[in-house]
Amino acid sequence: MNQRPVTIAFDVMGGDHGPLEIVRGAAQLTLDTPHIHALLVGDRAQIDLALSQVRHHAERVAVHHAPDFVAMHEKPNAALDAKPQASVLVAAQLVREGEADAMVSAGHTGAGVLACARTFTLIPGVRRAALATVYPTAVGRGAKNDPFSLILDVGATVDASADDLVAFAVMGSAYARIISKNENPTVALLSNGTESQKGPARVVEANLKLQSLPGLRFIGNVEGVDIPKGTADVVVCDGFVGNVCLKMLEGVSETVMELAKYAYKEKLLWRAGLAMLSSGIERIKEVTDWEQYGGAPILGFDRLFIKAHGRSKARAISNAGKVAARAVSNDLANAIQALLPRA
Amino acid sequence: MSVSPTDPNTPITRIYRWDLDKTYLQTEFDTLRQLVRTAFQKAHEKKAIPGAAALIRELRSTGGSRLCIVSGSPTQMRTVLVEKLKLDGVEFDELVLKDNLRNLVRGRFKAMRGQVGYKLPVLLESRARAPVDAEEVLFGDDAEADAFIYSLYADMVARRVSEPVVHSVLEAAEVYPDDIDRVIRQWKEIPQADPVRRIFINLDRLTPPAAFAHYGPRVVPIFNYFQAALVLLGDKHLTAPQVLRVMIELVQTAGYNLLTLSNSFQDLLRRGLPIADVAQSLVEALQGPAAMFQVVRPVPDIIAAFSKRVVALGAQPPPPKVRDIDYLSILDDARPRTHKKRRRFE
Repeated sequence: MNQRPVTIAFDVMGGDHGPLEIVRGAAQLTLDTPHIHALLVGDRAQIDLALSQVRHHAERVAVHHAPDFVAMHEKPNAALDAKPQASVLVAAQLVREGEADAMVSAGHTGAGVLACARTFTLIPGVRRAALATVYPTAVGRGAKNDPFSLILDVGATVDASADDLVAFAVMGSAYARIISKNENPTVALLSNGTESQKGPARVVEANLKLQSLPGLRFIGNVEGVDIPKGTADVVVCDGFVGNVCLKMLEGVSETVMELAKYAYKEKLLWRAGLAMLSSGIERIKEVTDWEQYGGAPILGFDRLFIKAHGRSKARAISNAGKVAARAVSNDLANAIQALLPRA
Repeated sequence: MSVSPTDPNTPITRIYRWDLDKTYLQTEFDTLRQLVRTAFQKAHEKKAIPGAAALIRELRSTGGSRLCIVSGSPTQMRTVLVEKLKLDGVEFDELVLKDNLRNLVRGRFKAMRGQVGYKLPVLLESRARAPVDAEEVLFGDDAEADAFIYSLYADMVARRVSEPVVHSVLEAAEVYPDDIDRVIRQWKEIPQADPVRRIFINLDRLTPPAAFAHYGPRVVPIFNYFQAALVLLGDKHLTAPQVLRVMIELVQTAGYNLLTLSNSFQDLLRRGLPIADVAQSLVEALQGPAAMFQVVRPVPDIIAAFSKRVVALGAQPPPPKVRDIDYLSILDDARPRTHKKRRRFE
């Protein structure tokens, strides 16, 4: 089947492994998926050097020179003011101008979100954008048997109103339907109890509104424990709670890994036990491999931005590009707008 | 049999040398099954690489040019290949195929898969028959050793390589001693000249262009024949309307569009090829009265797409410098692709 060509702008200068790994990821994308074109934004000399050394399809690659970039330690607002030619901002502008359909960056998250806010337009009915991320759970979902649930917001909007939470629920549902191929994803609000009256006023109000919203499979409130259990396909919260939650979940994972390392060193018997479990551990690693998911979408704008992990290498970048292209091909912005409650 | 349209009275000024498999024809022979299928394909089942036939027709349409084809395909395929070229409207002056049956009978198994020991003498023989001042443009691919063979051929004719180097190269390429002697003898009989202007390498395997950097700017890896046409426009081997005709074939038969064509153009710019000026010639040709270019309009969109790609790059870096090729340091390139020592970009 011939698919409509989709162009993804890559902020080549962002991330721990940019520009080489970003270019490699984009180059791989041009080999794997004929309908996806890559627009590489960043220092032209570095891009040319990286590109000339990797297999790629030149017919599906264009370069746009952007001499500056936002470093990880910089304050986003000040950096974007001082550097109008920063790669992330130029990439966003190229998306707005129609030179690309979506953008991917592994760079400074704040700068990425701010570049979008300065350049893109919020979807009518959405007041604030949300940063969504995926978390591996115990259950598979959708046509892809996807083990990841979607959590949003995890940091873009610290103080969200009830209407914002409703919009986040709609955005998350539309995204899960398109990306996870989950026809009817379950959506839940994160709270301190499953009862509908539990939680702060905005959560209680959002619960009421979501119950009466057509086209959404709202299953009520869930607690923190339900995130790794995978009780809901989409978990909705404000950016403050989401970010705390996400960091805690990451901390738990890292601690488990540390404990496993400790056990490996400490006793021969434990080492033998870990060795016996190694294939199972590998399987878990495969299932929960964040690189296969590519990145976290910033939802709510008329154009899509996929924020790839700062540590992303070529595979993760390539997958982030695929996710972005799939969202564009399925017209995510319109899918969100169609589901939003009429004002 | 040969189809020779060249008027014997027209002096030969340009020679275009083409390989067939993976350069002109879309051929797959990486597996035994593919090899067998290729061997039994009929002429109408064979597919030319998009734009190749159009480019050859345009190159041939200028007076005084010759098309010489040297292919590693076996001589038994001659009839079907001639028929295919005829179907595509490609007229040639020489078609040399590999006599592998003879190699088999003589027990020369290394010669069966080696390319250097086969193509180099054929090129030298053909050159011996050409006028000294005839320019050459060569077309090959990245599947075997074309960039190496063509560059060596060019430097041998220009006497930029010494006999001991040629000897070492041929030995490394597993050429039989009597064939080495034959090559050296042929070489010495050819008058010194510097005829090779460009060597185009069709990137069938999408080998990274940097893999050919050590051959210098004469070797131009290309992702499609629109790129070759653009460079040849810069080199004044083609006119802008001729390039547009190649472009039209790509648009009409292979689904090329503004995006892929403008990206191809920008790719050459990024690699430092001096083609920035050819954009203006194309614009002028597009704005001309030629009715056939209606198929690639709207013209303003085309001009805008190409201009954007130029502007997006900022300042143009200097073109790559011409350097002598150190053949002894790239001997692996001369070996058959399946050779264990040749694994760099596989």
